[in-house]
Amino acid sequence: MKANGKITILSGHFGSGKTEIAINLALSERTKHDKVAINDLDIINPYYRSRDAASVFREHDVELIAPQNRLASADLPIVSGEIYRVLHDSRYRLIVDAGGDKDGATALGQYYHEWKDMQPELWFVLNANRPFVSTLEGAAYTIGKIENASRLKVTGIINNTNIGLETTMEDVWRGHELSSLLAEKLNIAFLFTTIANHLQKDACNFAYRYEAFFIKRYMKLPWEG
Amino acid sequence: MGKVLMKGNEVIAESAVHAGCKYFFGYPITPQSELVAYMARRLPEVGGLFLQAESEVAAINMVYGAASAGVRVMTSSSSPGFSLKQEGISYLAGAQLPAVIVNIARGGPGLGNIQPAQSDYFQVTKGGGHGDYHTPVLAPASLQEIVDLTKDAFDIADRYRTPVILLGDGMLGQMMEPVEFTEGTEIRKFAKPWATTGTLGDGPPRTITSLELDAESLEKRNWDLQQKFAVMKANEIRYETYLTEDADYIMVAFGTVARITMNAVNKAREAGVKVGLIRPISLWPFPEKPFLETRDRVKGYISVEMSAGQMVEDVRLVVEGHAQVDFFGRTGGIVPTQDEIFEKIMMAAGGVTV
Repeated sequence: MKANGKITILSGHFGSGKTEIAINLALSERTKHDKVAINDLDIINPYYRSRDAASVFREHDVELIAPQNRLASADLPIVSGEIYRVLHDSRYRLIVDAGGDKDGATALGQYYHEWKDMQPELWFVLNANRPFVSTLEGAAYTIGKIENASRLKVTGIINNTNIGLETTMEDVWRGHELSSLLAEKLNIAFLFTTIANHLQKDACNFAYRYEAFFIKRYMKLPWEG
Repeated sequence: MGKVLMKGNEVIAESAVHAGCKYFFGYPITPQSELVAYMARRLPEVGGLFLQAESEVAAINMVYGAASAGVRVMTSSSSPGFSLKQEGISYLAGAQLPAVIVNIARGGPGLGNIQPAQSDYFQVTKGGGHGDYHTPVLAPASLQEIVDLTKDAFDIADRYRTPVILLGDGMLGQMMEPVEFTEGTEIRKFAKPWATTGTLGDGPPRTITSLELDAESLEKRNWDLQQKFAVMKANEIRYETYLTEDADYIMVAFGTVARITMNAVNKAREAGVKVGLIRPISLWPFPEKPFLETRDRVKGYISVEMSAGQMVEDVRLVVEGHAQVDFFGRTGGIVPTQDEIFEKIMMAAGGVTV
């Protein structure tokens, strides 16, 4: 997985897998660049956010920008001011993990004047197995709302269709089809598909024909190994 | 319809729609807000009504009104908001109205925090509001189980004319798992001759009220309620046991904690300790049978909870000193880990932990 520029923002319906992709992307960027920061802008949902993977970032020397200490788990719509330092330091690559839907994208709107001349990439993560974005209309509607709230245009679609550990290639293919249709309808680039590591074998055929990245899952439940 | 990936909160909402619930009155609070948001989007699609109330107190009273009219109705909240609903729940119990109330619990007391907790156990199982009453409480451990138990909750509510509590914690509400809904299953219809839907002048006016000024009449109603609770105790107990047949030690845990505890049980079995698990699914009525069957042959029980020790009191009540009852808990939104539960088992079993 590779970012196309200095700033890559991940958006999508909530629960579509933005955070997992943001973590994987940040770690992958770190192998190519000295300074990588991930900005957790999720003001919507205080569970399963980038900041919950703080130890992973520490281990891989990726800077985590998020409310710190006791504010990290506060039920408040707060973001860290540290983003400005990173935005204007040309050495940094920045991954932004936004909250779900248009409400999550609202937190992006405030940075419009900061980053509008930096060609930020706004990626839309699609999980076709999620309610409300499993149809072309539903997904297109969500993109429209996110674009309005963020004041940016979506520049790429990522197919992350899965149902967790029970995902089969059938899910991936279905998501691929919906993503292709969505990309065509809205004239947006369909960038690539992300597939969980455990499907690597089954995904041979798919990965041969289409751009696919295998991702590791970091957000685990306490009873998962 | 195949499997979909959903959040616990969404699953509760969609299961309610599948159970024929078309009315929802709520007020957002973390960590259950997705349930409210889902209903706002979903109910208009099925010709239902979603209304965001001005407060939790308003929402529960709207539930009272809708239940009086005989429709399936639900509200949801999280601990502090659920406390606000208690007056209304007592009214529902007193007026014998069916409704489903969801509590996706968080750390307390007071505002506490927004992390998962099970410390509302006392509140939901011992009545919660004022007066002599109990409400059935169902505690799912997985998202697929939510589908079944939400439907059961509505059926129990209608069958006994009672409010029913669906209890989860923030983790259950927020986590994602694949779930499958069976389409086209029949929704059980219960006759509601008491509903205030108008009369044809063919009888006395129908009145729904929890007010009863005459002492003898109120006492009679209270004994009637107690009789109803006795029937629920006979018919509505749900639980699961795991490896209890030959167990020397039995763990007791409900909801998400039962899943963590089950892993610890497996690990202890691998280490040679005969340990099992009782998972109460109905927290009230509390499943006494699996304890009565085992209390004279096990060495001890260990209740594992995300609280400072609440369900453990019910375990002690039913074990009646026949065996040792121990407790392990974490509070404040901290989720107990497999390893610390495993260590607790090993210590109880008199082994040396490594």
